[in-house]
Amino acid sequence: MTKWMWFKVVSVILLLGVIIGICVLEDHLVTSALAMVNNRCYEIEVAIQENDGIVNGEVASLVENMEYEWFQKERGLCFLVNHKNTEQLGVEIVRLKTYIDEEEEIEFYVSLNIIKNYVETFQHFMGASVDNIL
Amino acid sequence: MLTIVFRAVIIYIVVLFLYRLMGKRQLGEMQPFELVLTLIIADLATIPMAEVSVPVLHGIIPLLTLVVLHYILAFLCKVSEKFSQFVSGKPVIVINPNGIDYKALKNLDISIDDVFEALRGSGYFKIEQVQYAIMETNGKMSVLPKSEFAPVTVGDMQLQVEKSTLPINIINEGKIVKDNLGVAKIDERVVEKILKKANVKKVKDVLLLTVDKAGAVYLQKYHEKYTTMNISPLGEVEE
Repeated sequence: MTKWMWFKVVSVILLLGVIIGICVLEDHLVTSALAMVNNRCYEIEVAIQENDGIVNGEVASLVENMEYEWFQKERGLCFLVNHKNTEQLGVEIVRLKTYIDEEEEIEFYVSLNIIKNYVETFQHFMGASVDNIL
Repeated sequence: MLTIVFRAVIIYIVVLFLYRLMGKRQLGEMQPFELVLTLIIADLATIPMAEVSVPVLHGIIPLLTLVVLHYILAFLCKVSEKFSQFVSGKPVIVINPNGIDYKALKNLDISIDDVFEALRGSGYFKIEQVQYAIMETNGKMSVLPKSEFAPVTVGDMQLQVEKSTLPINIINEGKIVKDNLGVAKIDERVVEKILKKANVKKVKDVLLLTVDKAGAVYLQKYHEKYTTMNISPLGEVEE
């Protein structure tokens, strides 16, 4: 084999490695980000039940944490996922904070459910399945 | 806007690298699967370039995947003749000594006008001048003329001629191509002698200087007529 042929073989192996690596990284980042949001949503729901409402320090702190962690994760996701697909989640998390300040409990639940629904939908269409491929 | 500029630069470099990796054939005679690849690459590259919300990787990953697929396909074509024929087809004789093979034309879905167009492109205006015409897998037609219509070659005339040699660029647009000095087996002193003989003061005044293996020199200054001379194997310049 000539040098050029070796270069081609090595390049193809490297390219395959890059493709597989990026796919695994994307799956890991998306799964961990969505799992984090899902867990925070569950914790917020538990906190609301325990404190009989949204206007308390624990819920506010949980929402604050969720917002911080989401924006941290979103930075990584921006390299791999279409921004338009992730921006809705960020907007809804920010809305949660506003609803706590304004004491709008119903809107808070609506937003929380939108976030949960978004996580579920995103998990569905990000996963590798026959439905998604076709 | 700056984002788009950087994205364009990144994608341009990636596409350039991928085309280079796919080989020179990509630019010239393309097989059907290579043509498909070229069209898809062009389309894929533009999406992340123009759409800022789409990550650059969304354009690069499909490109890399296509190149890997291309390699696998090219490898399989090399290994298996049958697979190669399935993907690229096989050359078809459309004109034989009996004339036009109409069945072959029908199978290829081309008309007699298309055949004539290809023949004219090859320099043959009468079908009776052609012994064989073959439609190649890349869509080009190769024509073998009848012996009496084939161009006369030096070999046919049985003449003794000097072997043709390849001219080597020594000065290209005012710059010495140092790698070519070794190929032409001359050094910069010989170049200086040539320039002196041609009354050229500086290398940057020269548009083109070529030397072939036989020692024939072609020198052209910017905006002037060219001059020719010869150099001996010892590096002496002769008119």
